[in-house]
Amino acid sequence: MQQREEKQLEASLESLHARVAHLKGSLQSFILKLENEHDRLTWPSVLDNFALLSGQLNTINKVLKNEKTPSYRSQVIIPLLLSPDRDEELVKLTEQRVPVFSHEIVPDHLRTKPDPEVEEQEKHLSAEAARIGPEVAQKQIQTLNKLCSNLLEKLNNPRDDRDSESSALRQNKPSFNPADTNALVAAVGFGKGLSKCRPPGSVPPGHPGQPTMSTGPTLQQVTIAGTTGHQAGMGGQVAQQQPGQPGKMPSSIKTNIKSASASMHPYNR
Amino acid sequence: MEAPPVTVMPVTGGTINMMEYLLQGSVLDQSLESLLHRLRGLCDNMEPESFADHELVYLLKGQQGNPFMLRGRRSLLHPTAPWHLRYLGQPEVGDKSRHALVRNCVDVAASHSLPEFLNEMGFRMDHEFVAKGQVFRKGAMKVVVSKLLRVLATGNTENTEPLSLSYLVELSVLAPAGQDTVSEDMRSFAEQLKPLVHLEKIDPKRLM
Repeated sequence: MQQREEKQLEASLESLHARVAHLKGSLQSFILKLENEHDRLTWPSVLDNFALLSGQLNTINKVLKNEKTPSYRSQVIIPLLLSPDRDEELVKLTEQRVPVFSHEIVPDHLRTKPDPEVEEQEKHLSAEAARIGPEVAQKQIQTLNKLCSNLLEKLNNPRDDRDSESSALRQNKPSFNPADTNALVAAVGFGKGLSKCRPPGSVPPGHPGQPTMSTGPTLQQVTIAGTTGHQAGMGGQVAQQQPGQPGKMPSSIKTNIKSASASMHPYNR
Repeated sequence: MEAPPVTVMPVTGGTINMMEYLLQGSVLDQSLESLLHRLRGLCDNMEPESFADHELVYLLKGQQGNPFMLRGRRSLLHPTAPWHLRYLGQPEVGDKSRHALVRNCVDVAASHSLPEFLNEMGFRMDHEFVAKGQVFRKGAMKVVVSKLLRVLATGNTENTEPLSLSYLVELSVLAPAGQDTVSEDMRSFAEQLKPLVHLEKIDPKRLM
């Protein structure tokens, strides 16, 4: 009988130790990831890490709840030998964390009572639970179970008609207006809705009543040729004397200067 | 008036002809926060950049065809930064299955004498607006969420009013011509922004 219990204890301790080691490993890798790669991290991978940790905690819980596990509360750990000397075996076992098994570390590592704050909270919770009575507690448990199962069902069964229902609901609050889209695109594309400007001050004030630029540029070219001196006229002349320059691409700019000076050159040559 | 097609251009410089792949949509002001949160999660992890730009659009009207359009943009937040001059071609009428609007794009930096220079060349300012918003990046993709403001008095960027109650959302990629995988990536990114924003290719000629 004793042997069987002992064997059970040993087996359950082994499995618990293995699970805790897994949890420690994944916590370590997660912390390393957060410290070193935090600018490259994406939310889905962080969620994966959290899911892994929660899964491992779950298995630890299952191991503890397993009927083959003896109650650890009935076990007592008594330190048999305390010494202030460094113990190499211990160092290896605990990965350099506990070098000395002495009077200082025993109260911390072998304690069985939880932290004072945790104890307070536990007391508070059990008092609360005792206060509300068993029927109310049962009802609360049932409501919680129902909510969880509803949520699980919704998450596990994505259906297209559900999507269309929810999108119909969301139509009440549209987040964009197609008419606005068209208006904005037209404004950016060709200035629809933006006031057309008069020609800027390069047109000299000596020509009042200058029509807006919807009438071609030739009239304005004349004023430029007239007022900015002979350069424009000369340039136009030169361009005219060398028609069809090889290798040059036709451009409307040159055409305009040509036409202005050809038709309305103020100085007849 | 259109720039000559790619194959006819003499190769004078070392620049590759870049195409801009574009998807556009809009989001109402009240849903802006949720969109920004989602973009912060989806896009590269960096502080989103805010910008306030004043864009002037210049037209050169030839005797034939459509006027030639150039866009000059300056930052209101960084007044000493150079101007940005951009040419956008007509959207390529390729196969309808391509998911993004593709057009030729030439970008250059310019000094602060750009408006006078363009005026001397014969361009006239057609319209101007102020755009304020934020820029996000994901790899080569750029998402710009901006509020367009109408300038009430020409040249006066202090006096502005919003054009509409929405923010314009644009997803764009600058890539050399011929890379059609780009539009696939853009489409899958746009899927992730639904149903907050519907990014789609909108042909501006349709809205004229």
